[in-house]
Amino acid sequence: MTASSSSRRRFVRNAAGTTALALIPYQGRPAHAGTSEAAVPFEPVFFTPAELEFLSAACERIFPQDDLGPGAVALGVPFFIDRQMDTPYGKGELWYLSGPFHEGPPQLGYQLPFAPRDLYRKGIAAADAYARQRRGRKFSGLSANDQIDLLTAFEGGGVQFPELNARMFFEQLRRNTLEGVFADPVYGGNRAMQGWTLLGFPGARADFMDWVDQNGAPYPFGPVSLARQPL
Amino acid sequence: MSRKRTDVVIIGAGWAGSILAKEMREAGRSVIMLERGPERRTAVEGSYPGSIDELRGAIRHRLFQNPAKTTVTIRNTMNQTALPYRQLAAFLPGEGVGGAGLHWSGVHFRAAPDDLRLRSHVIERYGKKFIPEDMNLQDYDVTYDELEPFFDKAEKVFGTSGEAYKIDGKIVGNGNVFAPSRSDAFPLPPMQDVHTAALFRKAAAEAGYHPYSMPAANASKPYLNSYGLQMGPCNFCGYCSGYDCFMYSKASPNINILPALRSDPGFTLISNAHVLRVNLDAERSRATGVTYLDQKADREMTIEAELVIIAAFQFHNVHLMLLSGIGKPYDPVSNTGVVGRNFVYQTLTTSHAWMGRNDYTNQFVGAGGAGVAIDDFNSDNFDHGPLGFIGGSPVWVNQAGIKPIAAAMSGGGKSSPRWGKGFKEALVDTYRHSFAIDAHGSNMAYRDVYLDLDPTWKDSYGQPLLRMTFTWKDNDIRMNQYVVGKIEPIMKALGARHYELGRLEYGEPFDTRRYQTTHLGGGAVMGADPRTSALNRYLQSWDVSNVFVIGSNAFPQGMGYNPTGTVAALAYWAAHHIRTRYLMHPGPLVHRA
Amino acid sequence: MKKPGCLALLATLFLFPAAAQAAPEKETQLIEKGRYLAAASDCAACHTHDSRHPYAGGNPFLLPIGTLYAPNITPDRKAGIGDYTEADFSNALRRGIGKGGKPLYPAMPFPSYARMSDADIHALWAYFHNDVAPDPASVPANKIPWPLSMRWPMTLWRIAFAPTPAEARKSAERHFPSQETARGAYLVEGPGHCGACHTPRAITFQEKALSSDGNDLYLSGGAAVDGWTPVNLRQDNRTGLGRWREEDIVAFLETGRNLHGSAFGGMTDAIVHGTQHLTDQDLRAIAHYLKTSLPARKGEAPWTYDPAVAKALQQGTLPDKGARLYVDRCAACHRTDGHGYAPAFPPLAGNPVVMNPDPGSLILIVLRGSTLPPTEQAPSPFTMPGFASLMSDRDVAEVVTFIRRSWGNNARVVTQDDVRTFRKHNGQWIDDKPPSPMNRASSPRENAP
Repeated sequence: MTASSSSRRRFVRNAAGTTALALIPYQGRPAHAGTSEAAVPFEPVFFTPAELEFLSAACERIFPQDDLGPGAVALGVPFFIDRQMDTPYGKGELWYLSGPFHEGPPQLGYQLPFAPRDLYRKGIAAADAYARQRRGRKFSGLSANDQIDLLTAFEGGGVQFPELNARMFFEQLRRNTLEGVFADPVYGGNRAMQGWTLLGFPGARADFMDWVDQNGAPYPFGPVSLARQPL
Repeated sequence: MSRKRTDVVIIGAGWAGSILAKEMREAGRSVIMLERGPERRTAVEGSYPGSIDELRGAIRHRLFQNPAKTTVTIRNTMNQTALPYRQLAAFLPGEGVGGAGLHWSGVHFRAAPDDLRLRSHVIERYGKKFIPEDMNLQDYDVTYDELEPFFDKAEKVFGTSGEAYKIDGKIVGNGNVFAPSRSDAFPLPPMQDVHTAALFRKAAAEAGYHPYSMPAANASKPYLNSYGLQMGPCNFCGYCSGYDCFMYSKASPNINILPALRSDPGFTLISNAHVLRVNLDAERSRATGVTYLDQKADREMTIEAELVIIAAFQFHNVHLMLLSGIGKPYDPVSNTGVVGRNFVYQTLTTSHAWMGRNDYTNQFVGAGGAGVAIDDFNSDNFDHGPLGFIGGSPVWVNQAGIKPIAAAMSGGGKSSPRWGKGFKEALVDTYRHSFAIDAHGSNMAYRDVYLDLDPTWKDSYGQPLLRMTFTWKDNDIRMNQYVVGKIEPIMKALGARHYELGRLEYGEPFDTRRYQTTHLGGGAVMGADPRTSALNRYLQSWDVSNVFVIGSNAFPQGMGYNPTGTVAALAYWAAHHIRTRYLMHPGPLVHRA
Repeated sequence: MKKPGCLALLATLFLFPAAAQAAPEKETQLIEKGRYLAAASDCAACHTHDSRHPYAGGNPFLLPIGTLYAPNITPDRKAGIGDYTEADFSNALRRGIGKGGKPLYPAMPFPSYARMSDADIHALWAYFHNDVAPDPASVPANKIPWPLSMRWPMTLWRIAFAPTPAEARKSAERHFPSQETARGAYLVEGPGHCGACHTPRAITFQEKALSSDGNDLYLSGGAAVDGWTPVNLRQDNRTGLGRWREEDIVAFLETGRNLHGSAFGGMTDAIVHGTQHLTDQDLRAIAHYLKTSLPARKGEAPWTYDPAVAKALQQGTLPDKGARLYVDRCAACHRTDGHGYAPAFPPLAGNPVVMNPDPGSLILIVLRGSTLPPTEQAPSPFTMPGFASLMSDRDVAEVVTFIRRSWGNNARVVTQDDVRTFRKHNGQWIDDKPPSPMNRASSPRENAP
């Protein structure tokens, strides 16, 4: 067999072992525990404590607590992202990551050699370094307004980290934050389905036969999760 | 290497493959169907509640092709270096038994008669000069009347809900006034209007247009199809597009065809079987079978067959033809060859209306195939003469059920923040009170828009990736802008608090990062002339007569309608001619002039 | 082949051409009749464990006394019944006595098979002896500890409780109002052995009645089998088949589904292996017999639909926790009005299974899910998922009670304790995987052509 077939074999074996994206309700604190808006402490499986500080601060800026409801931290988003890093998605197994790697025009899409977990590892380190260099402190130590300034700069594409443009990192962070706010609570975010309640999304009931056309009235029932809910 | 023998080998277990498998079994031929992805059974993977999980489904692509194994490279123009499509976004091909037919929405149209003979029609009505020089405008070489029995057959298999306008030339109902006459009614009555569809219906009529219920392969009632297979009724749960329907109410090969084959000893379905090539004889004029990789055992296997049906997704069909040497590869410089030629897509732009704050649009309620559309600006239903473009778009509210992660990614309106302060408020307002109106339009074929093999990147099997050279052209942008302009009167009639029109802009290249549609077409098109088509009118390879290639790859240009209904009809059409003619006398069904 | 044999064969062909053709034809007819009767008798439900090995046995019966395995009944001489004579075969079927006098466990429904005619037994013999392929697969030894493993008590049981073939034939040949009723009775009471599940048994295990002229407990609903409670097949209005028409019964036996309900549990096998293969005429005879020979036992008030709950749900109010769970998890298919979308999704309103005094089947379906049997005429294997991991005992009690008491249903409340006890005793039947003939490891063609 040629080299390419043996790498193919390895790929097939790896894929077989990991792509089964099982629906496992997370074993930590129950997703529906209470409606407290405080952060829930947890033991990260991927992020270091310092990375987690960055992550918590940054996703709260992206989806902040306000009059409308809890922010990303209270909703469990850092926990969600941490657990996602340990999935085939987090490991980059759902992306084509074969070389060579060339930069191209933005409309041709993502061209970095990094899996999501690499983007976080490199992105957080670079963002904290950038914060220290520009504002004298690591990101989580800055005021909310300073954090917003930096994230705005990252989003704008004008900041170049050593191995990637800051915009790539920002977009990854924004995407995963919003996923954590609105994915089913079985994945650890959207605590007590408060993300869904905010939108009026009914979740996994999956039956609107009696409500096909309400002629502009709101739908009456609250949300339901994929997991068991307390009565 | 292990060898097996069968009468017919079919590549791909989606709609096209499953239709051909059923037809070939009815003709008494032994069939092996190969599917690169895993087995998928609605009762197992598709059951409630695991199937209605947005993160696992539409976001992490449970039913889509994993680009890590094989993808394409994309560039906008011939002078660029194409780069790999590393993350699925613009289009979402399916993988696994059922193919994209398992995760589609269910919009089930019949091709418009004019669209099937677009070149002849344009020349007749507007003259040859109306066709831009670099546009490869072509006819399908099959007419609506020829396909009608097969459109009808497919609808009775799919359990399609809809309302007819004309049957046997007589007006019978409130269907689409632009639709051609049918031989029979839809098997099921139309789906109910969701609130936003009802709003659109009223506003479109007020604007002087002709709204109709979209034909949906979502069952409006329990239905027993022509194979004796049961469908449940759609309950508007909104998990169609990107999901397998736990209600058994969205037509899929898994529900509507395969249960009739699974217990048939003459039919074998092999999943996790990635076909590497179609094997040809020394003269390259006859296929001897296929070689595939058994991905579970990591073993190459060869199947010998009398007849090879390539029925994977559009671009996989083209890819496999190029890898196997079936037909001459297209070269845009010399303008020769056919495989890869006329690669086409669709133009999809979305406009949004924000209704009053006490009007809840309940966008999570929906059905993928249902909605209300107007065809006033589709096909050649309007005079193109003064407009200077070819093609058109139906315009519709097709509320397929908007899920929160997807909603959050697009956020509020154009001027609202993408994150941070103000984002939530705009998102909530948009989710609760807005709705979308799409212009889902045609896309013409051009000399420098095509498919070929990439010189650099390879898939995980060591084979070169397919390369797409694609961007929007002025003709199609002009069409889109014209049709989107016609949405404005609807917005006004709606009394929307605010609206935003989405449209293509000149100079804006095709962007692979934003979802468009998965309605890719062409690349191995059907036609009358072997110099400009890879397949004859029966979807048979001109060059290798025991190879038929079934799919939207056969479309010479992208039509305004969704492709599945036409793919299914073409599959039954090809199968009919294989059964009634080819099997008796194998060989070309059309002789080269 | 040696020459003399060849010549002998030629001689046979030339000398007896008529016999040589007629005999196989008659034989074929007999074998086909036997095949049909094997389906009518549902032999495969117990004796085919793996569809790749028809009649090679191995199906385990988890009984309180231990585990029994259905034997191999292919004509393999070592593993099966290849050394049986026709008389041995008949003794086993009608008297429950195996070759050499070994008494069979009454899991074998010989008290019903005793009613079968000599001609039918002969046809079955011809089929099993000459058409079924010998399969050398051996069956695991029964796991029944001594002293329960001793067989001699079975002899006493047989003498005490099983009719002799002569007695059984006499009952089978009793007077019937019509030939159709007689045929229906023969199929139900004889080969079909419906009473084995659907008639209550005494503490000593014998069915309390073996025919419609026995007593009114016949087919009045049996004790749980594998966790499923067989329903009452008599004419009781709420808990029996009082509201089913003959054509409903025919559709059910042919396709496992009709406008009133769907098959589950052991009935799935009975339909897949058995009743779907019966002629329309025989199915109509069965339906006619069931409708006309088995009057209601209890004077149940006729079920009438009550729209109150449906109205409340459709107005967005949830009267109780059971209603909420129902709206969250059940209404998608079974509808807020309880009518379901028959025959795709069965109705719960007015469904005899739902109103069964014993809520076991309902609890088990909620926990485990169920799959419609794919049959020749209705190949779609619709599946209800199991909710064991989504619902606590209390949840199940609430939702089952809601279902049993809505839409005019009036069955008794089910408590959290009922569910807990059921779960404790039926753990082995509760499995999150949708159970189905489709999901057995019996689709060898899929990946191993």
